[in-house]
Amino acid sequence: MSAFKGGVHPPEEKALVRDKAIETFPLSPLYHVLVQQHLGAPARPIVKAGDQVKKGQVLTEPMGFVSVPVHAPTSGRVRDVGKMVHPVTGLLSPCIVIEADGNDEWADGLPLERDPFSMAKDEFLEAIRNAGIVGMGGATFPTHVKLSPPEGKSIDTLIINGVECEPYLSSDHRLMLEEPEKVIKGTKVAMRVLGLDRAVIAIEGNKPDAVRVMKEKAPREIQVSSLAVKYPQGSEKQLIKALTNREVPSGGLPMDVGTVVQNAGTAAAIWDACSSGIPLIERITSVTGRGVRDPKNIRVRVGTVVRDVIEFCGGLEGAAKIIFGGPMMGIAQFTQEIPVMKGTSGILVLTEKDTNISDYSACISCGRCVEACPMGLIPSTLSKLGERGMWEEASKIGLMDCIECGCCTYVCPARRPIVHFIKHLKALSRAAASKKKGA
Amino acid sequence: MLTATLVVGGIGAVCALILGISLVTFAVKMDAREKEVMDNLPGANCGACGFAGCAALAHELTVNPDTRMTCPAVNEKMLQAIGEILGRDMGGVSPVIAAVRCRGGRQEAPVRYEYVGPRDCRSAQLIAGGPKGCGYGCLGLGTCATVCPFDAMVMGEDGLPRVITDKCTGCGKCVDACPRDIIALVPKTGNYCVGCISQDAPKDMKKICSVGCIKCGICADVCPFEAIVSEKGKAARIDQDKCRKCGLCVGVCPVSVITSRTAPEKARIIPQKCKGCGICEQVCPVEAISGKAKEPYRVDPGKCMGCGLCIEKCPTEAIERDNT
Repeated sequence: MSAFKGGVHPPEEKALVRDKAIETFPLSPLYHVLVQQHLGAPARPIVKAGDQVKKGQVLTEPMGFVSVPVHAPTSGRVRDVGKMVHPVTGLLSPCIVIEADGNDEWADGLPLERDPFSMAKDEFLEAIRNAGIVGMGGATFPTHVKLSPPEGKSIDTLIINGVECEPYLSSDHRLMLEEPEKVIKGTKVAMRVLGLDRAVIAIEGNKPDAVRVMKEKAPREIQVSSLAVKYPQGSEKQLIKALTNREVPSGGLPMDVGTVVQNAGTAAAIWDACSSGIPLIERITSVTGRGVRDPKNIRVRVGTVVRDVIEFCGGLEGAAKIIFGGPMMGIAQFTQEIPVMKGTSGILVLTEKDTNISDYSACISCGRCVEACPMGLIPSTLSKLGERGMWEEASKIGLMDCIECGCCTYVCPARRPIVHFIKHLKALSRAAASKKKGA
Repeated sequence: MLTATLVVGGIGAVCALILGISLVTFAVKMDAREKEVMDNLPGANCGACGFAGCAALAHELTVNPDTRMTCPAVNEKMLQAIGEILGRDMGGVSPVIAAVRCRGGRQEAPVRYEYVGPRDCRSAQLIAGGPKGCGYGCLGLGTCATVCPFDAMVMGEDGLPRVITDKCTGCGKCVDACPRDIIALVPKTGNYCVGCISQDAPKDMKKICSVGCIKCGICADVCPFEAIVSEKGKAARIDQDKCRKCGLCVGVCPVSVITSRTAPEKARIIPQKCKGCGICEQVCPVEAISGKAKEPYRVDPGKCMGCGLCIEKCPTEAIERDNT
C-alpha cells in the first residue's frame, strides 16, 4: 500500500458517534442563513425583510464564476437581512434571517423528476452551480469550478474522498453506510461531467464496514480503495500521492496532475441536485466530543443555530472549547450563536482535559515536526521565522505550500502553535502583496 | 624553547605582513565623511528611512547629493552636524510622535474570548478578528512595543501601550505594525488626539467599552478651526493640519476621550510693544485676553490654550510664545 511521507496518528476518538445512526434535526422556528458560505467571489442577497420564501428558493445572486447562491432551508418569512458572527472569520457577516411558518413547503416545481443521465455536460454544471454546491469536507470551494477544468488540462482520475481522517468526526462514514447509493450515483454524475469511465472511492482502513458496503454497491467502473490509517490521509495532495503516486507541484492544483478530488458528501449533494434539483440546504454533521452529553450524527438544515443543535444533543457538560470541524484543522468558536454552514462537517465540544491550552516555550530543535510534516517542509524554522514576522525568508522555504494540517503542532513537545505562526506569516505575505499591488 | 619562539614568532610576522599588505591593496575606498555622517545618525538601523540601515543611509547621503534626509529619528543637533559635514542644508526635524488612539484597557473594554497563541497582535487578529470585544480597540499584546527600535513604547498594566514622548522619534514602525490601525502620528507639541477610532453605534459600543467616543459631535461644533471631522457613525477625528491646539474640544468632550500629552506653548504679550489695539481680544476663541484700549493687554495663562491666532493677527508683533 503506497502512502505519503510524514503524518501522525492522533487518537481516533470516533467511537463516540461512529455507531450512531443519523437523526434528523427537527424544524427550527428561526434560521440564520449566512450569505457567504463558500470560498471565492461574494454573493448578493436578492430578498428583503418581509418577503415570503419557500423551501429551496434562491436567496442570493452569485457575483462571478467562482461563486454560488444560498437557498432557503424552509418556507417562511424573511425577518431581516442582518448580521451574524461567521464561524470561519469570526466577524459579523451578512446573514438572512428566516422565520419558519412550519409548513416546510417546497418552492414551485421542487423536487423535480428528471433522468439526470439524459442531461448534457453544461446542464449538469448549471444544475450543480444553481444548487449552491460547495466542497463539503470543510474547504467550501464551489464544486462546479472544480468540475470545469480549464482548456488544456486533461483529467484522467476522479477520486471520491471518504477518508475522513480528522479524529472524532463520522459524518462521511455514516453517509456511506446509510446512503451508499447516493454517493455512488453522484460519483457517476461527476464521471459523466469530466468524461471519465472510472473513479476511485477512497476510504480509510478504520472504516471496514463502510468499505464493505461501498464495495457491495459500487459498479465495476468504480473502485473502492481502503487506505492506511494516518492523518492527514484525507488531504487532497496526500490522497493523490497515496492513490496514484503523483505529486501535485508546489503552488499547483490537483488538476495539474490530471486529478479531481470530491468529498463523499459533495457527491451525494451532486446527485440530489442533478436528479431532483434539490439545492444544498441540509447536511450531515457529527456533534461530538466529551463536552456534549449525548453525541449524535444529525441531518441538519443550513442556518440552524449551534446553541439549538447542542441542546438537541443533551447540552454542554464540562465544555472548554467548541470547534467547527475536527480537532486538527477545525476553527475554535467563541459563541454558540453561530449558524451551521454548508461546510460544517462536525461540531466538536472538547473538555479541558482534551484541549491543549497552555503556554509555549522556545523551539528545542528536536525535529519531530520535520518528520511529521506531510508536505516535506521544516515547520521548526517556519515557526521561528513566524515569531519574528520574517515572511520573505519563510517564502523561500515553502511557506505557501503549508496545508495547515496541524501535524507539526500536534507533535511539538514545546507546545508551540506552529500552524498559527505559519498562518501569521501567510497573512503578512498576503498583506505585503496587496500593498505592492495597490502602490 | 628558542626554536619554538622563533617559529611561532616567524609565522606571526609573516601573517602580519600579509595582513598589512592586504589592508593597503584591498582597502575599500570610502568617503571619510561617510563615517562621520554615520556617527551622527541614531544607529538603531530601524529602516524607517527606506534604506537597509543607518550605514546605507549615510552612504547614500554622502555619494548622492540629491538624497534627502529621510531619517525620521534624527534630532536638530544631529541634523546640523550632518549638514556641516556634507556642506549642504538638511532641512528640518520631523516634529511628530506616535499616539495611541484607544483608551479601552482590560477593565474598560473586556475581551470576548480567551486568546491562546503567539504573543503578537497580528496573530491574534487572525483568530476571529481578535479577542477584544471592541473590533476597533487595542488588542494589548504589545506588537507596537516589540517593533519600536527606540524603546519608546511600553505596555502598561492595563494592557494599553504608552508612548514615552522623549524617546519617540516618529519613525512610524508601530503605525505599520498595528493590525488595527490604532496608532497615528501627531505633532510633537500640543498633540491633541481622539483616543478612539470605533465605528460602532454608541448604543452598541457602550456594551463593549466604557470609555470610547460616543460620536456626539460636540467637539466638532465647538472647534473654531473646523479641524475636527465628525462623520456620522464614526469616532471624531482631528485633522492635524488644521488643528491650532486651542484645546477647546478637550473641555467640552462629555467622555473625556480627547487628550493631549504635551502642554501647549501659551501666548505672552510684551507690554513694551503692545499698542492696546484690542485685535487679540477679538480673535481669541477662549476669551483669555483682556485689557483696556491704548494700554497693554494681558493674557490669562489659565485660560490660554496656545492656539496662536493672536500672534498671527497682532499688527505690532507684540505677542510671542511663552516657552519658559
